[in-house]
Amino acid sequence: MSEPSHDHHDDHGHHGSRFIQHHYDDAAHQFDSGKLGIWFFLVQEILFFSALFVAYIVFRAHHPEIFAYAHHYLDVKWGAINTAVLIVSSLTAAWAVRCAQLNQRKGLIACLSITILCALGFLGIKTIEYTHKIHEHILWGKYFDPCVASAGNHLLNKGNNCPGFRSSVTWDAKSNKAASGCLEGEFDREPEVPGIQAECKVTEVKGANRRPVEACAEEGGKSTFPCWELSANPHVCPAGPGALIIYGDHAHHGDVTVEATCEAVPATAPVGDAFAPAAKPEVEGQATFRRNPALTKHERQHLFASGPPPEHTSMFFSIYFAMTGLHGIHVLVGVFIFIWLLVRAIRGDFTPEYFGPIDYAALYWHLVDLIWIFLFPLLYLIH
Amino acid sequence: MADHANHDHHGISHVAPARVLLTAWIGLMVLTVITVGATKIDLGANYNLALAMAIAVVKATIVLLFFMHLRYDKLFHSVLVTGGLLAAALFVGFALMDSGQYQDTVIWNPASPPAAPIGPPLVP
Amino acid sequence: MSAAVDTTCSYLSPKASARKGILGWMLTLDHKRIGMMYLFGILFALLLGGAFALLVRAELWTPGETIVGKDWYNKFFTLHGAVMVFLVIIPGIPAALGNMVLPIQLGAPDVAFPKLNLASFYLWCLGAILLLVSVVSGGLDTGWTFYTPYSLQTKTAVIPAVMGAFVLGFSSIFTGLNFLVTVHKFRPKQMGWFQMPLNLWALYSTALMQVLATPVLGITLLLLFVERFMHIGVFDPNMGGDPVLFQHFFWFYSHPAVYIMIVPAMGVVSELMTTFSRKPIFGYRFIAYSSVSLALLSFLVWGHHMFVSGQSKLANMVFSALTFSVGIPSAIKVFNWTSTLYKGDIRLETPMLYALSFLIMFTIGGLTGIFLAILSIDVQLHDTYFVVAHFHYVMMGSTLIAFIGGLHYWWPKMSGKMYPDRISKVAAIGVFIGFNLTFLPQFVMGSRGMPRRYWDYDPEFKIFHQLSTVGAFLLGLSLFAVVVYLIWSLKYGKVAPKNPWGGTTLEWEAPTPPTVFNFPEPPEIPEIYNYDDFVDAPDGGVMRKPGGTSAAGSSGAH
Repeated sequence: MSEPSHDHHDDHGHHGSRFIQHHYDDAAHQFDSGKLGIWFFLVQEILFFSALFVAYIVFRAHHPEIFAYAHHYLDVKWGAINTAVLIVSSLTAAWAVRCAQLNQRKGLIACLSITILCALGFLGIKTIEYTHKIHEHILWGKYFDPCVASAGNHLLNKGNNCPGFRSSVTWDAKSNKAASGCLEGEFDREPEVPGIQAECKVTEVKGANRRPVEACAEEGGKSTFPCWELSANPHVCPAGPGALIIYGDHAHHGDVTVEATCEAVPATAPVGDAFAPAAKPEVEGQATFRRNPALTKHERQHLFASGPPPEHTSMFFSIYFAMTGLHGIHVLVGVFIFIWLLVRAIRGDFTPEYFGPIDYAALYWHLVDLIWIFLFPLLYLIH
Repeated sequence: MADHANHDHHGISHVAPARVLLTAWIGLMVLTVITVGATKIDLGANYNLALAMAIAVVKATIVLLFFMHLRYDKLFHSVLVTGGLLAAALFVGFALMDSGQYQDTVIWNPASPPAAPIGPPLVP
Repeated sequence: MSAAVDTTCSYLSPKASARKGILGWMLTLDHKRIGMMYLFGILFALLLGGAFALLVRAELWTPGETIVGKDWYNKFFTLHGAVMVFLVIIPGIPAALGNMVLPIQLGAPDVAFPKLNLASFYLWCLGAILLLVSVVSGGLDTGWTFYTPYSLQTKTAVIPAVMGAFVLGFSSIFTGLNFLVTVHKFRPKQMGWFQMPLNLWALYSTALMQVLATPVLGITLLLLFVERFMHIGVFDPNMGGDPVLFQHFFWFYSHPAVYIMIVPAMGVVSELMTTFSRKPIFGYRFIAYSSVSLALLSFLVWGHHMFVSGQSKLANMVFSALTFSVGIPSAIKVFNWTSTLYKGDIRLETPMLYALSFLIMFTIGGLTGIFLAILSIDVQLHDTYFVVAHFHYVMMGSTLIAFIGGLHYWWPKMSGKMYPDRISKVAAIGVFIGFNLTFLPQFVMGSRGMPRRYWDYDPEFKIFHQLSTVGAFLLGLSLFAVVVYLIWSLKYGKVAPKNPWGGTTLEWEAPTPPTVFNFPEPPEIPEIYNYDDFVDAPDGGVMRKPGGTSAAGSSGAH
């Protein structure tokens, strides 16, 4: 020990644990000082997080539509599980303090171990969520580009209007005979009215070991579904009349060749002059679905018939990553603290006279839990 | 607090009774289920938010009082937390007061400049 | 662990540490040694920041380019501001003087968390290194406020500077936390809150602000950091972010930070006024309460920095109105200090010269602050030299002057040596004249429309700029002399008596220099600010008349 306080032997009547430092009167004085210190530290933590809550509140107050739209990208299931995991770990942290006070060393070790496991579980689930979002390009700021990845099937299944999925694969009409015949034969000018749909019967899927056209495969490769849509936005498909939408699977990133029969029908009520329904043309042939690099991100987002996401949707994810990221760092720090305490507990450092570090770490851990208690409804449970 | 002062006070600090910790934990779990369930009921965005926040505040209070011991601890520690929360509330309040007054975003478009201000033209 | 520590010897003695040589200092947990290390670090940073100030002033000697171009000018004033604010003025009184004095004034053997105290010092060093990295890697030109969106766009070294300020913030938080717990838990039972020296009230209020406000600086700078690294967009209008929000975040900390700078200075001056007037402080409770109320008010007025930078009219009016209220506790202090002087037995020792300078310059700085709080006037004066002069009167003319004054006051106790008396008085007068010569012309320039942070200016301002530059060099010379003779006195100074000034607070009861645990025996708690029964002591200082009745209690907590 380096500090002079350990070196001099001015006896203040210290007894018990060798961890009572010399400038304190006794164990209670040390414990109370540490406790007051940790409470001041927690106040500091509250203010540290407060700015992020201010950012959240200011942006949500003025742009509720972003939050209402974007929270669908988050999975309530994972959020709820993580809440439960943290609450369990809070219980074991509080129980660890109790064990230390009652000198129950085995219980202390068990409680600290469970707390560490829960904390790691929390981080594991967070990793799953983050990994998925990185894969989907559901990120902060200018990296928010959910249309890049073709995956997101389950997002669509949840009915959450993910523009990333449906617009990510387009039918490039010009490069493909069959498709272009189908399309050009029918639509000789740019449609001006939204909501025009056509149907495409996909007869066969060639995609090696991929399952690029899930819906078709489910129905023997013969299903009919509204597979492409024409947007009213002339920016969308300057070269061809429309985008074909397929239900790709997660692994799909490249081009997929599909043999298809296309049949154009008006899917909605009469749409005026823009659409001239002559005979229903059918063209069989091959079409290649691929990502269309010619479209800008903005255009991809607007491909989606049910409306583009609100402007600056990425702000939600900036705040989401800032808040959960900072919280995650605190969880990670907590893991290291509890591992250190576990080592000391196994070594037998703690006694009913000296258990301050357990109490302080538990208080810190409860604050981390407390912040999550607010983050969960604010980020996941937006109605 | 006389009811739990006698046998729970062990050594240099109060020991949380097992029953209190477990009850608090069950309460937190139940409230978590309720808050998830409450989103299924449509009360309108504002009321849903208010309900979710009310539940979160109750949960936070449980954590503070029982897990974090404030119920049995020195009053000054509660004062500190309250002070910290007040400072944060002040921060939120002023920031919201200011940003609530913002005008809509003005995007300068050189193709269609905004209308000239009212008044005589700015020619020398 | 060696047993070679002699706790009865001076903390400066090599025997006071179990480790040999430099390690005995670098790994020390003694608050006095840590305070000394802070002091020398801060004095070094003061010279560095001062050098940047002189470069700025030299450049402004003539309109257009005098010594450097405009890009370097931008970097000079930014680095002057960043170094002075983050490395000198904020830690100056609390970390250096406070570390030295606070536990002794409480009669405590050390601060509550000595290891944390040492960690704070090393965080300060790390922050200083990061700021120096930003100096050598091309400088910084954002101003010390790092306003977005410019701080997101500039090619200069924002990242190391932001990291440095972040780390320094945590150094400040931990120091504050340590002091709060020390005051709460190490105050002897005989010393009630209202038996504490006013310096402790001020340090306590400061620490409260450090703990409540500084974390917001931390998160703001962290957001700026990820903004620059990862383009998170919270402050970037291109991505829907809000640059005004950055200003709210920044000033939520940085306005309290201004009070983190000035309130401890007020504590020091309260001690100096009463000691060198040999008269009980007038209105003890009012001074104590006004320190706390300044701490609370500091959180209500940050918007007055944003009157012309996009804040709404409503917020402008509210913040303007609230800002006036700051005048009340400040004026209470000024009136109480003046009343303390009235019919006092005033001794014009060097620390008192600084205290009187403080009284004058704080009054000027405070009153001009009221002008700037008035919304309609601020719109005219914002971002002019008037503002520059105003905050230098408060930050430099008040805080730094109090720091230097307090340094002279406690130097005999800290170092065991007296500073050279005559030179120090000349330097104090030089500081006073140099300071006013530098900044009084800036009020005139500012009210005539000279904008701040400009490299070039209209020739009509030339005479004011030149007066200002002359004053700055006189000021710089005087402060340099202070640093030199203090270091000189460490080796060649006269041995200091136990109580050279007739101070009544506990540190004057401790040996000079204090022993390892400050007091060989638990001290008696004296009745502070009672000057009745002082007599000359054999060591050249003063002492209580033997058998006097001034002790309020019989023993400390230890």
